[in-house]
Amino acid sequence: MLRKLTEIVTRFPKATITMALIATVFFAMQFPKMKIDTDPENMLEQTQADRIFYDKVKKEFGINDLLVVGIVDENGIFNPDTLRRIAKITDDILKIKGVIIEDVVSLRTSDNVTQDAATLVVKRFMEEVPKDQKEIEGLKSAVYGNSFFVDKIISQDGKAASIYIPIEKKDQSYRISKEIETILKKELTSKQKYYLAGLPVAEDTFGHEMFVQMGITAPLAGFFIMILLFLIFRTGIAVIPPMLDAMLSVIWTMGLLIGLGFTVHIMSSMIPIFLMPIALLDDIHILSGFFDRYPSIKDKRKTIIATMKDLYRPMFFTSVTSAVGFGSLALADIPPVRIFGLFVAFGIMAAWLFTNTIVPAIVMLMNEEKLTAFLEKRQKKTSSLDKILKAFGRFSFYRSKAILFASLIILIIGIIGIYQIRINDNPVKWFKPSHKIRIGDDVMNKFFGGTYMAYLVAEGDKEDTIKRPQVLSYIDKLQNHLEDLKIVGKTSSAADIVKRINYVLHDESKAFDVVPKTQAEAGQYLFLFSMTGDPNDLDNFLDYNSQKANIWIQMKGGDNTQMRQVERSSYNFMKDNPPPKDIAIRWSGLTYINKVWQNLMVWGMLKAVLGSFVIVFLLMVLEFRSLRLGIISMLPLSIAIISSYGFVGLAGKDYDMPIAVCSALSLGMAIDFAIHYLQRFKASYREFRDIEAVNTFMAGEPYRAIMGNAIVISLGFLPLITSTLTPYVTVGTFFALLMLFSTLATLILLPAIMRLWGESLFKREVSR
Amino acid sequence: MRAIKTFFVVSLFLLTSLCQGLSFAKDEFSANDIITRSRLAFYYAGDDEKARVTMELINKAGQKRIRELTMLRKDYEEGGEQKYFSYFHQPSDVKDTTFMAYKYPDRDDDRWLFIPAINLVKRIAANDKYSSFVGSDFTYEDVSGRKPEEDIHTLLRKEKLGEKSCFVIESIPKGSSEYTKRISWIDETNFLPLKEEFYDKQKELYRQFEAQEIKDINGIMTITKRLMRNVKTGHRTEVTFETVEYNVGIGDDIFSERYLRRPPLEWIR
Repeated sequence: MLRKLTEIVTRFPKATITMALIATVFFAMQFPKMKIDTDPENMLEQTQADRIFYDKVKKEFGINDLLVVGIVDENGIFNPDTLRRIAKITDDILKIKGVIIEDVVSLRTSDNVTQDAATLVVKRFMEEVPKDQKEIEGLKSAVYGNSFFVDKIISQDGKAASIYIPIEKKDQSYRISKEIETILKKELTSKQKYYLAGLPVAEDTFGHEMFVQMGITAPLAGFFIMILLFLIFRTGIAVIPPMLDAMLSVIWTMGLLIGLGFTVHIMSSMIPIFLMPIALLDDIHILSGFFDRYPSIKDKRKTIIATMKDLYRPMFFTSVTSAVGFGSLALADIPPVRIFGLFVAFGIMAAWLFTNTIVPAIVMLMNEEKLTAFLEKRQKKTSSLDKILKAFGRFSFYRSKAILFASLIILIIGIIGIYQIRINDNPVKWFKPSHKIRIGDDVMNKFFGGTYMAYLVAEGDKEDTIKRPQVLSYIDKLQNHLEDLKIVGKTSSAADIVKRINYVLHDESKAFDVVPKTQAEAGQYLFLFSMTGDPNDLDNFLDYNSQKANIWIQMKGGDNTQMRQVERSSYNFMKDNPPPKDIAIRWSGLTYINKVWQNLMVWGMLKAVLGSFVIVFLLMVLEFRSLRLGIISMLPLSIAIISSYGFVGLAGKDYDMPIAVCSALSLGMAIDFAIHYLQRFKASYREFRDIEAVNTFMAGEPYRAIMGNAIVISLGFLPLITSTLTPYVTVGTFFALLMLFSTLATLILLPAIMRLWGESLFKREVSR
Repeated sequence: MRAIKTFFVVSLFLLTSLCQGLSFAKDEFSANDIITRSRLAFYYAGDDEKARVTMELINKAGQKRIRELTMLRKDYEEGGEQKYFSYFHQPSDVKDTTFMAYKYPDRDDDRWLFIPAINLVKRIAANDKYSSFVGSDFTYEDVSGRKPEEDIHTLLRKEKLGEKSCFVIESIPKGSSEYTKRISWIDETNFLPLKEEFYDKQKELYRQFEAQEIKDINGIMTITKRLMRNVKTGHRTEVTFETVEYNVGIGDDIFSERYLRRPPLEWIR
């Protein structure tokens, strides 16, 4: 059937190309509809329990997205000039549309409750900017006297102040952060530094960088691959068919994704970069075979038909196995990963279609004279690469036993390495350490109580449960326990507010810096608090019926391992000190959510890898019609994957989102080499009927094609290393590594196996 | 002092005009006159007042908090000094909490709160321009009034609000304030504010006041249902004056620390 197709497209090459291009224009027309999604919450299903709970927490406690401005003055901020600047900056920030004025927390806008000669004074810390030393001392003692705000709006050492800016809608954060930056630049001198942090800023920056990746890195990778192709084939005409194939499949895939209304997430933004090198793999085999045969056949159409005939099966199976590898991601519980997998699978099959249509059509349009001239020149010299390949073929063939032994050793080391793997991720670390966001994050975590937010929600069984003294003091104790952990910077809750009012009402006596003994007291203190500021001051910590309390946990690090450690510690505390019977305590917050989806990711990926391993294995058994060959074909990639992950473990690199994704797709990619090798081996065994002769033949054109592929894939991902986003860097590096391992495994291990067992494996082929 | 003098002149002028049976053509009211008269009609009705008030604080999700209180007010000077006493019936855990405020024409209020759980009377000093009244959308200023001379008033137009003819006045604060602009719809016949819009520092509407029910109580037009809505947060407060009585003869002694601790039962029932 495919042979018919080849005959048709080679007869009507121009019509074939035109039709493909028209379809491509249709897909390209979808591009302007592109919507970017950088919300890490979307890593979880809308219906996932922790996400639903987090949404509820945000709604019930009126938690908005937050931008945080940090202002650092190495000489200290407590001088009239710096304070005046901070006040002016805050005033100007309040004027930015989209900022929730009454919820801005800062020296300028937050109320302090203190005691002054039998009067309860509620005053903003900096209603007026202090003018002299005496007023500055007054401000200092006010701020440092209220532990609720220390480490929050002012650093312990007085060198940094911060402004917390809640915004109405997340999609405005880019504009608002730009306006804030303009204000900061205008008002600050070179003596002060400013830092912008907060999830919305990170997300926006990430979205922007993603566009850069797609707009710059992907074409860069394309250009790089073009050069590689040129170096492999040493002619410009060989570059066009694979490049066109790669471009068209990227446009089709992205066009379909956007056209179907999916958002472009961090994962799907990687599609072009993944698809490009994969798309042109089969084309390299076609071109390589075509150039080898043309000088003897001397007819383009006959040559291409003859070349394609041998390649239909391996090309189909390599495409299907790669597609299955990516498609297996559809088993993951993480929607962006699922979409990524399915669409790359689509892209691979689209590329396979182009390999069978566009590529032969373009070959038909090549200038015959130039082609002949080029190939004549090429035939005369044996390239040094060929010599190396030949040596390579001999080495692996004659050292078969040593190779098998070495493989076993590598396998064992790999497994040991895998045991060292540390599962961990942190979306802020998706930016390189030198990135503005990372620097800001580091500085803010150095000066303040931590920028990574998690929540502990205590839910009572009826109204006013939280006001019960037992409940409040339990919350207080839990907070004390958590604050003893090094990673926890600061915690805040309704218990802190009640304690503060108790303390202030009792003439700031230390003995009353505790949770009051009766519910009436707690209720009346909270009532008093509600009379002093905004109606929603309390909302972040206590729900409307006082049935639920939200404890804010600010952490200095957002690694999943750190979150897990805090979570575990809280559970241990709750086990040793059981909470009052009428409350249930549950974790939430973004840092926690990140931990949740990362956990899903790890197990989802494992499931996907095992699933695709089985499917690929069955496909191989089907393809070779032999159980033993099926097993053998899986060997090189098993060794490659195990040693790659062993390497990750031994190198101490965290097993994070990008690494997890690589695992599923490496399978579909690594099998390609084995398929091509074994198919070619089988075909030539039929011809030569002698294992050694086959090996010598294999070390020629087939090795060249396989090596060409390995080079294109591993080096094709290389431009990713220049990216400002670490997931791209990780994927690029890891893929290069994996391709290296699987090429070596294929070209060394398989010949060794063939020498030992080849004859018995292919006996049936010959007797047929 | 000057401000008070001017104020007196204005009030006198207004009183005279009132005596003349409103024979003035309404067109001749200046924006300042209207605001001044509105303040008197709204905050200084009668010589004293006793009211049972229910406040419903409703958040965006529709959850409610109830504040039920008895409010006593006594005026010492028309447009000038006033004293307030409030006793809270609800919510149950603040029952017996009392609150007292002395309002002065030329300086910040004095306020006291009695916290029954610890039997403590505390004076409170807080900025009434932005601090919330018992957690509602009303600020202290909304509850007890703002001096006319703190804003520059302009009569924008006259228009009908429903059936009622209104003056529409724009007020821009002279000093710093929570709002940057206030637009008031003031009933031409009784000078009660029917609607007010408050604009924030971003020049956007954030709070909106509405008089929802007006009753004639012993000849005094009184807003018995009012609503303050924060359009930005979705939070709103509905206030109902269940029973209102004017000129009931509240004694001066009620407004004292003694009664804060021991609410005058005959008045708060």
